[in-house]
Amino acid sequence: MSNNLRGKYAIAGVGHSKLGKVPEMGPIGMFAVAARNAIADAGLTKADVDGLVTRGPDDVYCHHQRVGAALGLNVTYSTSTDNGGASQVLGVAMACMAIDAGLCNTVVVGFGRDTWSRTHRNETARKRVNIGIQNQGEFGPEFGWFGAPSNYAVSARRHMKLYGTTKEQLGHIAVAFRDHASRNPNAFFQKPLTIEEYLSARMIVDPLCLYDCSIYIDGAAAVVVTSAERARDLKRPPAYVMGFGFGNRLSGWFEESNMLTTGAKEAGEAAYRMAGIGPEDVDTAQLYDCFTQMVLLQLEDYGFCKKGEGGPFAGSGALLLDGAMPTNTSGGQLSEGHTEGMLQIVEGVRQIRHEHGPDRQVKDAEVALVSGHGGNTACQSAMILAREAS
Amino acid sequence: MSEYAKPLPYPTVESEPFWEGCKRHELLLPQCRQCSGYWFPPGSTCPHCWSTEWDWKKASGRGRIHSFGIYNRVYHPGFEGEIPYVFAVIQLEEGPRMVSNVVNESPDKLDCDQPVEVVFEDVTEEVTLYKFAPAN
Repeated sequence: MSNNLRGKYAIAGVGHSKLGKVPEMGPIGMFAVAARNAIADAGLTKADVDGLVTRGPDDVYCHHQRVGAALGLNVTYSTSTDNGGASQVLGVAMACMAIDAGLCNTVVVGFGRDTWSRTHRNETARKRVNIGIQNQGEFGPEFGWFGAPSNYAVSARRHMKLYGTTKEQLGHIAVAFRDHASRNPNAFFQKPLTIEEYLSARMIVDPLCLYDCSIYIDGAAAVVVTSAERARDLKRPPAYVMGFGFGNRLSGWFEESNMLTTGAKEAGEAAYRMAGIGPEDVDTAQLYDCFTQMVLLQLEDYGFCKKGEGGPFAGSGALLLDGAMPTNTSGGQLSEGHTEGMLQIVEGVRQIRHEHGPDRQVKDAEVALVSGHGGNTACQSAMILAREAS
Repeated sequence: MSEYAKPLPYPTVESEPFWEGCKRHELLLPQCRQCSGYWFPPGSTCPHCWSTEWDWKKASGRGRIHSFGIYNRVYHPGFEGEIPYVFAVIQLEEGPRMVSNVVNESPDKLDCDQPVEVVFEDVTEEVTLYKFAPAN
């Protein structure tokens, strides 16, 4: 099946707000800064923007309207998506499709949240968040089942049982991403992490320890999507959108084998098919890493290794900058900071542009796979970015 | 008896009969009249064949630990003093999986696929929770 969107659209600009602890700004304010920076990066102006896709709506109702108001925008296409951390790649795809339908020409796609401040401002805020979100419902909270770590803990233990995956192999994911973060001045954690430190860290939800979990930060990031033809005339080298795909296993994380083989399988197959490539053609992966376990599953589901072999693959050092599949070269959400996958898109673009110095640049990076994952663990999104559209 | 400090379930109109069953120490599952399939959590439509003709059936209460985690962090003040505690995804004999706790066993003695059976805990006068313990 041919697809006429392949290489027809591109990411022309990327930007982010201050990252880390930003108590002086709210999530919409940080988003506005990121959008401004992305538009400036592309060499465009406010007047060029006629589309906006944001990720909502758990923060505020009609999220895109709030962001648009903060930016003083009137547009011909805008909405907020609701696929959790899979929303950001979905947003880029929706931008491509909207431009293709003739609805708009220049779309800002972004995400921002004050996740560090909201949970660390003080102890009361921390407890209120935990109880407020988790305490209503059934078939979970009454058994002390709170938050995302549980879902990935049961996935990890089942994976260990079936495939012999070890805690140390999971640790090599955290260690590799921290190595990358040590080269990234914007990363929340820049101090290198040893496997010994990882193995002696306190457990959060066993088998997952502190370093298996991503770090919530304050921050926003945004990208600008426009036609490939137009992007070629702009300030920066275009990152061509060669393919995208989605896999949403809505039946649930506990159903069938969904906690071991995720919708990333379908998302990757669709994205590869559209781009006309396979996993062997990918030079760097920027994977949604809410937890180390989710990286392990995606390495398998995106075809970088076989199902069940994610542990030995990660343990071999494959994810390091000079490894077989340099992954999350900014440090990822485990070490740079969690912005629901938006910074993964930014890093994919920067790698494709060969923007980094030799200590952080994947040599000769031509093709990047960027992924998103989220919602109620069900949704996966994948996108292939390339330096050349041919 | 001191006041129960942990979260209690907020039943919906579709799950109310399930929780009423727990109070009688019965584990109920919806079973489809058309395809005989079971499902959980409760819902008005069979997710297998989309029939709306179904009955509440008493489950055997037997199952296996599909997977589990051990909480070492307190996320809710009601669980202070409880860690480490075990939560699990239980594979029921009838097919559905449900989230619960595994009790009456040290966490380090548990394994995936281990047989378990339901036990009921009357936590308040109004609410009974279903939990699982290693099968004899």
